[in-house]
Amino acid sequence: MPQKLKEVDVVCIGVGFAGSILAKELAASGLTVVGLERGRERHSVPDFQAPAIHDELKYSVRKAFMQDVVREAMTFRNHRNEVALPMRQWEGFLPGTGLGGAGVHWNGQSWRYQATEFIYKTHLEQRYGRKFIDPDLRIQDWGVSYQELEPYYDKFEYLIGAGGKAGNLNGQIHSDGNFFESPRAREYPNPPMKEQYAGALFRKAALELGYHPFIQPSANMTRPYTNPEGMTLNPCVYCGFCERFGCEQFAKASPQTVILPKLRELSNFQLRTEAHVLRINLDSTGKKATSVSYMDAQGREFEQPASLILVTAFILNNIRMLLLSGIGRPYDPVTEKGVVGRNYAYQTQSYVPVFMGEDVHLNSYMAAGASGTVIDDFSVDNFDHGPLGFIGGGYILCGSTNARPIEFHPTPPGTPRWGGKWKEAVRRHYNHTTIFNLSGNSTSARQNYADLDPTYRDAWGLPLLRITFDFPDNDVRMSRHVTAKASEIARRMGAKIVVNEPRTKPYTTTAYQSTHNTGGTVMGNDPAISVVNRYCQSWDVPNVFVVGASNYPQNSSYNPTLTLGALIYWTADALKTRYLKRPGPLA
Amino acid sequence: MTAMKLKALLFAVVTAVCVHRLASVAGAALAAPANSQLGAQIVATGTQKGSVACARCHGFDGASDGSGAFPVLAGQSADYLAAQLRRFASGQRQNALMESIAKGLTDDELLSVTQYYSAARPVSSVTRQATSNQVTVGQRIALVGNLNTRVQACVSCHGPYGTGEPPTIPYLSGQYRHYIEVQLQMFRRGYRKSSQMLGVGHNLTADEAAAVAAYFDQLPLPSTQ
Repeated sequence: MPQKLKEVDVVCIGVGFAGSILAKELAASGLTVVGLERGRERHSVPDFQAPAIHDELKYSVRKAFMQDVVREAMTFRNHRNEVALPMRQWEGFLPGTGLGGAGVHWNGQSWRYQATEFIYKTHLEQRYGRKFIDPDLRIQDWGVSYQELEPYYDKFEYLIGAGGKAGNLNGQIHSDGNFFESPRAREYPNPPMKEQYAGALFRKAALELGYHPFIQPSANMTRPYTNPEGMTLNPCVYCGFCERFGCEQFAKASPQTVILPKLRELSNFQLRTEAHVLRINLDSTGKKATSVSYMDAQGREFEQPASLILVTAFILNNIRMLLLSGIGRPYDPVTEKGVVGRNYAYQTQSYVPVFMGEDVHLNSYMAAGASGTVIDDFSVDNFDHGPLGFIGGGYILCGSTNARPIEFHPTPPGTPRWGGKWKEAVRRHYNHTTIFNLSGNSTSARQNYADLDPTYRDAWGLPLLRITFDFPDNDVRMSRHVTAKASEIARRMGAKIVVNEPRTKPYTTTAYQSTHNTGGTVMGNDPAISVVNRYCQSWDVPNVFVVGASNYPQNSSYNPTLTLGALIYWTADALKTRYLKRPGPLA
Repeated sequence: MTAMKLKALLFAVVTAVCVHRLASVAGAALAAPANSQLGAQIVATGTQKGSVACARCHGFDGASDGSGAFPVLAGQSADYLAAQLRRFASGQRQNALMESIAKGLTDDELLSVTQYYSAARPVSSVTRQATSNQVTVGQRIALVGNLNTRVQACVSCHGPYGTGEPPTIPYLSGQYRHYIEVQLQMFRRGYRKSSQMLGVGHNLTADEAAAVAAYFDQLPLPSTQ
């Protein structure tokens, strides 16, 4: 018999960036808040300390910070006419778990989306005409504008101590920043990262080709920094153990380093870890959430009543939570009716391995998670697509985040895959090779979606999330074009061997590309094609808010975290200034 | 001589000069086989320009006088020592005593003395005194860090058990506790500039600094491990 607990004002399902920040904002306004985190507590000390954290085998190969597939996995298929099978091993993307969520093991790449992306449908139709867009694509406007979000982008950047150079300061263009970015009101809180040698070579070649290189904005601290919450961070030491690892130096912006200790000082906030949420319970009308049911580490079930429930569990878990709770109508790809699970998208990544001569010593192991020199000339709609016949684009990044000994061993095509000749090639090329990273738009399509699997269940007996996805043809054409541009830069750099590797179909989960999944609980102004309104509030159950990249109607070229940060503060504001004063639908 | 042979000779001479200059440039940048005779001489008697003999404070074996006023230099990375001498000379690291000494050294002399002390091994061991409580507290901070004061484990950068990460990060094991404590104060107050040590200097309490210093002091020098 589940034990019913005393009611609180707010429950956050998941305590990562979204859960921590929203909990802090609301608890600081006087509400009683409970944060339910399915994973364990972990802290910079002792859990992220070196040398133990610099264990590539444990954290990178065996993915110690990621969700345990034995207890809960996801099923995957490319098309509706296939049977989805469980992912027994994480490769394509890596869902994390534990206090702090993905904010612990992310790289810190800190990008704002562009103004036109929030009105992407309107903008593209205006520029190219409706017929230009492939008929299977489902692009939507967000319902909130960049101008509305700008102050919240700023707030999140100052929380995480983002390091960079403004490219567009109130309309004034600065060439040492991103020429293409949308206007920002003030400079970054910290200066940009140091440029790596490979990045400097890339910069020179990119300038010669007429592009606009700049240093990628980063949440790895570039100098000692104290954020507005009073948290102090140390400078990054460029150790090359960023993604998949925690930071021993208090240098990576994570909930632990930017906000959690301040949150936990508040007596009206309570953190419960190893609290696995099973579902949100609704009343008999189905329009009001009454409580959250969860199971603790001992297998005891609890019911936590609350007036307001925030779903902040990471995009994939957000979708699943709504489906398991019966909030919103599930999407049907045949009829295109329903919304939960609709517009699931990914990130169209591609790589260009660049083998320089043996006299060029790149020392790529001196790396930080977000260090790199990048061009934005081929992202989103920064170039004229008219003659090209596709939409979207990707940024081209020359930056090493690591050259770790187990997994970084690039060899040119034709090298044997094992044996003495392989070892010789690894030795020969290790310190003279860099790999361009192209991060491209992932455009939502009618055939790509998420739902509950009919066959496979997790350790709690609940159906797994099923993902049906393949790259739309549009995105494949885009990748071919942008990757070719990247290879041109590599040749201009004087590379001896350039390997042009655009993304092709089919998408496979067996090789790592990106953990940037988006969509499934899309935000917008039209309830027929969105799950939450522009304030991230459920259309169906007004006391449930969903705050995650699950709200994105389609994925950008850029990494999703900063935009999520803006949405988090935007939602916090909506809750404090509108919802709490008059609970009910805000739109 | 024929024009050809003249050209060949000229080429050979120019090449030889270039190679020699490259070698001296390389010598300044890397740890070149330094003049050990010169090093020993400067340590014992100082330089012609008037830099005082290093041994006066740092001892012949690099273990100094045991007071903790002067650091143990024995076995420290030569590149690290050279970097410190250059910082003393430029004023980036403020030290009234060392500034004029460092300024008075030529490049060759600087490299020679740093090589000397890098190779030096202490002849006598100095008895170190610390309360066992201090060592226990210090050990925890050194190996694991302190979450409450947001201090990362010293060994994150200073190497296993503080044995250093040459060429840039010095060893702490076997260093004099008094010297470590003073340096932590120097970082805290900004007299010694390091964006990495600034946070550590600020966040360590006085008691913690003493504990950490006591812990490292009673460890053996890396060269003797």
